[in-house]
Amino acid sequence: MELFSEIYNCYYQVLRHLLCSQTALTLQQIRGQICKEGFAESMLSVIPKLEQGDWNLFQKDGELFYSKLSSPLILPVSGLQKSYLKALLSDPRMQLFLNQKQIESLGQMLSEVPPLWTQEQFFYCDRFTDGDPYEDETYRQNFRTLLTAQKNRQYADIDYNSPKGTRVHHHYVPARLEYSVKNDKFRLLALKDRNDHRMKLEILNISRIHSVRLTNRTLDSQVDLNGLIQNSYYREPLKLHIVNKRNALERAMLHFANYEKNTTKIDETTYECLIYYNQTMETELLIEVMSFGPMLTVVGNEKFLKSLKERLQRQRNQANGAASFR
Amino acid sequence: MSDFHELIKSFPKTREYVRDFFVYGFKTRNEFKHKSPRTYDNERRRLESWLHPFVRKDHLSQGANISLAIDSNLLDTNPLFRVWKTKSFTDNDIVLHFFILDLLQKGSKMTAEEITDCLLTDYETLFDIQTVRRKCNAYWKEGLLQKEKNGKKFFYFLDNSLSLWLKSNENVFDGLAFFQMAGHLGIIGSQLTDQFDRPNRTFRVKHSFFVHTLEDEILLQLLEAVSQKKSVSLTIKSSKKDITNTAVCVPLQIFISTRSGRRFLCGYVFRNKRFTCFRLDTIKNVSLLEKIETYEELQEKLNRNRRHLWGVSFQGGERQHLDKLTLTLQILESEESYILDRLKREGRGGTITKTGQDIYQYEIEVFDCNEMLPWVRTFIGRILSLECSAKSVEQRFYQDLETMYQMYQIDED
Repeated sequence: MELFSEIYNCYYQVLRHLLCSQTALTLQQIRGQICKEGFAESMLSVIPKLEQGDWNLFQKDGELFYSKLSSPLILPVSGLQKSYLKALLSDPRMQLFLNQKQIESLGQMLSEVPPLWTQEQFFYCDRFTDGDPYEDETYRQNFRTLLTAQKNRQYADIDYNSPKGTRVHHHYVPARLEYSVKNDKFRLLALKDRNDHRMKLEILNISRIHSVRLTNRTLDSQVDLNGLIQNSYYREPLKLHIVNKRNALERAMLHFANYEKNTTKIDETTYECLIYYNQTMETELLIEVMSFGPMLTVVGNEKFLKSLKERLQRQRNQANGAASFR
Repeated sequence: MSDFHELIKSFPKTREYVRDFFVYGFKTRNEFKHKSPRTYDNERRRLESWLHPFVRKDHLSQGANISLAIDSNLLDTNPLFRVWKTKSFTDNDIVLHFFILDLLQKGSKMTAEEITDCLLTDYETLFDIQTVRRKCNAYWKEGLLQKEKNGKKFFYFLDNSLSLWLKSNENVFDGLAFFQMAGHLGIIGSQLTDQFDRPNRTFRVKHSFFVHTLEDEILLQLLEAVSQKKSVSLTIKSSKKDITNTAVCVPLQIFISTRSGRRFLCGYVFRNKRFTCFRLDTIKNVSLLEKIETYEELQEKLNRNRRHLWGVSFQGGERQHLDKLTLTLQILESEESYILDRLKREGRGGTITKTGQDIYQYEIEVFDCNEMLPWVRTFIGRILSLECSAKSVEQRFYQDLETMYQMYQIDED
């Protein structure tokens, strides 16, 4: 069972879509599909193969290409994919998506298939222990309702307990469900109407939701979610200098690989790394930077630098106090 | 560049380039010293082609460099999955793929000879029987085709029942959309969502390291060895030095750090009678060896040892078996209960004791307290004292702190 196999190749995917097209295609349409789904230079390889007939998959009639396939293609599930599905069945989070009957039915279809892995073959060294309660029926119900609302762009009536302890009750449109691997928790990226008829983005922990109910109202306008997220980033990124000692460079680059960043070498041993972030990421990023100790130097922005210095000042005062206390 | 091809035959060569561009993102052409300029140019061009929406070019005084600008907050898929969809193929491969699957779509069972005949009559395409049989057998091995013997003949057919079940149970694709982003071997989930044209539009993922997918072929082989309870021979290339060596171990478990973004194989090395962790991104090759009769015993032993493991190190810098670390923190109970929550959920079983008004003591015994320092530092600002039976750990913590005071000009009040 090969993971790197031509059957999963991007060209096969493009060709499948072209071949399953109900109508004859012009070269222009074929090019359009390749541009949409292929790699940047795929056109250079695919078009000559089709035009010259090396891939004799179309019947050419004048300027039109007719698929030679007789029916819409349903692709079989490979052995590797079956084993993958079997492994997912034993993940407690799968029950957020499938009901018991579906799990049993899929389990039966895969009864002869070995799972690609089992849960106990993996161990998370540092995952937080207060993950979401996937076994809890209310949680599952809320999760599924949010999923439905997200797909239908429906407003959901959400009753929520904020981390500060206040009860919040609002109508939101779920934009995305965000999962944190470290926290083992789902959060809802939710859109809320503003007074100026625009939308604002709020983040809710799904486990803190008491109840959620679908409304009949849907969101008609297009909202640029990524635009909202990017607009929330501070204009000035965090600027770090990394001295490559104790393997700090490699560690930092991997550690911050999640963030949009830009790294340049400024001299033989020092590198400058810019990290883009917003207010919701600020505390976590500060903690991550502190975990590196003196291996990273924060040189900007001012706000971040100030927060770091405050922590260090507090530590210095704390240590002095503790010394006199002892 | 006349010999440039967008697709590739083998994955490992490309893996390192992608990793270097993605993880580091600052290496210029001159810094890829171990590769010829032509190889660098071709690899760079391929990367630009595969990942063009995510490629950023910067022009620096040392030369142009390209990097991957990937912000996981903004993405519904892992862009590096595209790298897995680049395997080269022959003209025959792609033509046979579509025609054989189309031919068998209606449920008929056919021999390789019959398929060959139909390819000519129905699709006006001539193949020799051997080529068709080889492809059918390859697809049978991949699980795409079924094969049964009737008399002396082998018949090939399609079983699409699972595909049809998936298509009629739409919510399974929500699960696949999620797991391809957040689960192990997400590339397979991505292949399935591609195949059924159900791209993820619902989930985002935080603290997931997209670069992990580059190690998935290695991971797959290791999981196979674990399932078969076999030892393995690993070819390892050091991340610090340009040295390649071989290690033989009994693979027991995959360790994942969600903070550092590293994944490890935890194995038992008979030669020195120790558990050892190997970073997956340093493993270049895996060969399965013999079955281990004492596999369950070793696994049991690992489970017992894991209680004293902070990260992945089974031995500290000093000679004792276990090191004890005591961290005393000031936590203002009225407004900083979240710090106590942090200690509980991140403290990996350490004990927490209230020793005074707003003062808490956290204690733990682990193999290697050195590994705890990054986590301990996240409490800077609240640490009243740190004591450790491994004095070098204590010293390093306070020395680093002193260095930071100097770096940021933090004076005594």
